[in-house]
Amino acid sequence: MKAISLYKATGWSLVEFSIRRPKLVMLLAGLLTLIFLTQFPKIRTDTNPKHMLPETSDVRVWNDKVDKTFALYEDTIVVGVENGASDAGVLNKDTLGRIARVTDAILALEGVASRDVNGFTTITNVTVEEGTLKVGPLMPAAPKTDAEVANLKSSLFGNPLFLDRIISRDGKTTAIYVPLEKGANGAEIADKIRDIVAKEKGASVGNERYYIAGDPVARDTFGAEMFKLMAIFSPIAGGIMFAAIQYMFRSLVLSAAMMGVSMVAIIWSMGLLIGVGFPVHIMSSMAPVFLMAIATDSIHIFNEFYFRYREQSGDKRDKLMAIRETMAAVSRPVRFTALATAAGFAVMLFMNIIPVQVFGGLIAFGTVVLRLLSFSFIPAVLTFVREDKLAAAAGDVGQDRTARLLGHLGAFGAIRPRLTVAVAVALVAVSVWGTSKIHVNNNLVAWFKAGSEIRVADTAMNAALGGTSLGYVVVEGKEADFMKRPEAMRWLEGLQRHLETLPVVGKTFSVADYVKRINRVLHEDDANYDIVPDTQDGIGQYLFLFSMSAKPSDLDNVVDPTFAKANLWVQMKTWDADAMRQVSAAAEEYHKAHPLAATVKPAGIAYFNLVWNEEVLGDLVLGLGLALVVVLAILALDFRSFKWALVAYVPLLLTILLIYGVVGFAGKDFDMPLSVMSTLSLGMAVDFAIHFVSRFRQRRAEVGAGETPAETLEESLAWTAARPGKGIMRNAILFAAAFSVMMAAPLTPYIAVGAFIVSMMLLSALLTLMLLPALVMLARHFLIEEN
Amino acid sequence: MKRMILAALLVPLSAMALTGEEAIRKSQAAFLYPGKDFKARVLMKLINQDGQERVRELMMLRKNIGEAGGEQKYFMVFFQPNDVKDMSFMTYKYPAKDDDRWMFIPAVNMVKRIAAQDKRSSFVGSDFTYEDVSGRDIEDDTHAVEREEKVGGRDCTVVKSTPKAGDADFGSKLTWVDKANFLPLKEEQFDRKGARYKEFTADEVVEVKGFPTVVRRTMKNLQTGHRTEVGYSKVDYDLGIEDSLFSERFLRQPPRKWVE
Repeated sequence: MKAISLYKATGWSLVEFSIRRPKLVMLLAGLLTLIFLTQFPKIRTDTNPKHMLPETSDVRVWNDKVDKTFALYEDTIVVGVENGASDAGVLNKDTLGRIARVTDAILALEGVASRDVNGFTTITNVTVEEGTLKVGPLMPAAPKTDAEVANLKSSLFGNPLFLDRIISRDGKTTAIYVPLEKGANGAEIADKIRDIVAKEKGASVGNERYYIAGDPVARDTFGAEMFKLMAIFSPIAGGIMFAAIQYMFRSLVLSAAMMGVSMVAIIWSMGLLIGVGFPVHIMSSMAPVFLMAIATDSIHIFNEFYFRYREQSGDKRDKLMAIRETMAAVSRPVRFTALATAAGFAVMLFMNIIPVQVFGGLIAFGTVVLRLLSFSFIPAVLTFVREDKLAAAAGDVGQDRTARLLGHLGAFGAIRPRLTVAVAVALVAVSVWGTSKIHVNNNLVAWFKAGSEIRVADTAMNAALGGTSLGYVVVEGKEADFMKRPEAMRWLEGLQRHLETLPVVGKTFSVADYVKRINRVLHEDDANYDIVPDTQDGIGQYLFLFSMSAKPSDLDNVVDPTFAKANLWVQMKTWDADAMRQVSAAAEEYHKAHPLAATVKPAGIAYFNLVWNEEVLGDLVLGLGLALVVVLAILALDFRSFKWALVAYVPLLLTILLIYGVVGFAGKDFDMPLSVMSTLSLGMAVDFAIHFVSRFRQRRAEVGAGETPAETLEESLAWTAARPGKGIMRNAILFAAAFSVMMAAPLTPYIAVGAFIVSMMLLSALLTLMLLPALVMLARHFLIEEN
Repeated sequence: MKRMILAALLVPLSAMALTGEEAIRKSQAAFLYPGKDFKARVLMKLINQDGQERVRELMMLRKNIGEAGGEQKYFMVFFQPNDVKDMSFMTYKYPAKDDDRWMFIPAVNMVKRIAAQDKRSSFVGSDFTYEDVSGRDIEDDTHAVEREEKVGGRDCTVVKSTPKAGDADFGSKLTWVDKANFLPLKEEQFDRKGARYKEFTADEVVEVKGFPTVVRRTMKNLQTGHRTEVGYSKVDYDLGIEDSLFSERFLRQPPRKWVE
């Protein structure tokens, strides 16, 4: 923008230069594009939800500390095995043999933290047999006899540590937890596990179903879908736009120019993003579609150019003159709409979520590029449109059916302003009601479609076992051995029972479970001893006994080396952020009711999701607030009138409100992508109001002045709705067409964004063309006096 | 042709030197069986990658029943950590058979037999396994001399031991056996994926009653960064430890003369 005003100040015009040296301009654009294109091979994606917040954020620092204190792994792949065919479930010799072989093969995989893999063959079991205490793997080898299977079954169901963790209550599902070494390639390991499983399936006629789930798998799938969006859906969106433009203007040069402009903007922006070293994230993967849609703002130039050319009388038609006039007429609105769009996206730089910041910066840059091209590349291309084609396309304005229809629409608003506004007010009321039902929630698993492998695995595992969403409650005492005190250990146990009363909690476990288990086992498996012993020495000795044979990680995962802190594992049956909120609240409530000289803090990935979710809500409020202020300021600046800005603001607000209302009524979770959309859609949808008001006022200045104006207010409004209105409608339809493709995308955030933008654009165009005339009529004394 | 000459040269050489199995056998005799009996106060420091330390302190008594490589009895009494004070632990070690183990738990005044199904599990939470402490059955592995190498200026035979069955958590092991006194000066354990994962070093060797004894040693887990440092004090041999010591009665109440 700055560049353009600079040219003007020095008396040099970019438009003039571009229509004189069109080939040079296009060559320059092409060269720059090639330079940006060289950055593309360096592309990398980041699908780790953790990276939504900066590394220095409190929650990440805290979670990292907890991981370190309790030797926890960042990534775990979960292999679920289900045998629903027989009553014995997975507890039969065949299935167990396969489980043993699969586990064995997994242990040999590079990158798997083999020492801490937990499944039937590796999980530590504490039992007593004929007076002998046994601490060791539950099933060192696959059972060969039915008696051994029966033994295993009683061990499994007799040990609460196993129930809901590695065996479902109906015995039909088990899980193998496969932690990964730091820096291991989760996608590769998941693939190898799939191969291992496939080999077993091929070799036998087993009835098992295998599920492979866990964060690394989800992230990998996510990344693949992101590439799909960029590599398949973006080009399709481009194709649809191309077809739509071709239909509207019937000029290959124009359609190609429009696509060229968006391609250039996309390549420059993505090239810059990649070149600077940012990874592509869920948000920035949508950038190509966004830029393509934003590029459609150039429609106003083409639209106006065609009208201008047609208005010149037949023999004196001058293409270059038409270009100059067009650019003069639309430059202000086009510049201000670009400013509004760029500002709407730039607002995101103030948000707390990194991918949103990056996305905001990326699109703001792309928008600036697009506008630069509007004043150089596009006029240059217009010089290439053949005159005979133009003449053929140029008919009479009055005969344009679309324009006539839009004119009627605007006229209706102008003639029946009260009715129009009344309907709008009614809609506001309903929308506010719907908005109040909005539920902010980010459920990362729900980002995958219901039939996807991840969702299927997650649903099956949640139904059978304790839950796939993992959170921790960390209890920190002040001195060493604090957790060995009977009162601390009992407190921990009490907290577990309290948390387990929540329906979202499927399973908890802590060091208290080990202590109780050993107490019981030492007393000949007497259920009366399934309690925490009375003395600290007793607890200390039990744990020592346990550590003599267990895997180091068994204890490390639940207590710190000094026994000052304990880590309580909470498995939840849903990834909804609210589940962890309930757990947090319940832990706090329990701590209040049962004071303990320790701090109690939630942690883990579920806790991260909760914090992140709250950041999204905060960002939504902040972003929306900022965007509203910025957009109003830009409107006021453009119109040089606060009153006009306020009036132009109304259709925009109503659009947002209507969509929020629908989201609220539909019960769709209000998540990060939607929150971002609502912020930046302000910047995009305001374009229509800018075009409408600017052109209307231009029109009034031309034909509405003097004692006997050539046109009434209503007529001018109808003209605006018909002429620039057609540009607005074309713009909206192109926008909607591009984004409608995303509704077929494989990830739900893409679908939601697609639906949001499609309805946003169409609604705001419609409201601008109908409601704005009505408002102008009603407020005419308030507005026009100032004129 | 070249290969045949090489083979012809190697045969007499390897016949002169120890075979891998002989080296390991001599090494176990020097490391785990010296004297008729043995006593040491053991201080173990379990150190995690952040340098946090946990301590295990115990008195260890050992008596050989037969020749080197034969049956042994171990008796241990714990002093630290505080809450396990007076816990005691006894092992009857048999070649080629599961050990018998017992533990006395003072808090419940109970002696419990403990199954020894997994010799590869950690010894009292340290980086040493039971096998590292009391030896692995020689017949469980094949042993081959890899090369000769110096460790800390001493000539060593490097022996590679590979488990015959896949039951162990390690894939193979390299042992640097001191050519002069047969003590293992260094050991590297590889996991089943072939990655180095544990390293043993004998950090200080002194002679006690004519027996070279490793009085400081370290076992380091190279994958987790966790390590265990062990120091021996009050080392003595051939004290005439009675067989009766290794009983449930004394496990409950160890004789003072042996645990001071």
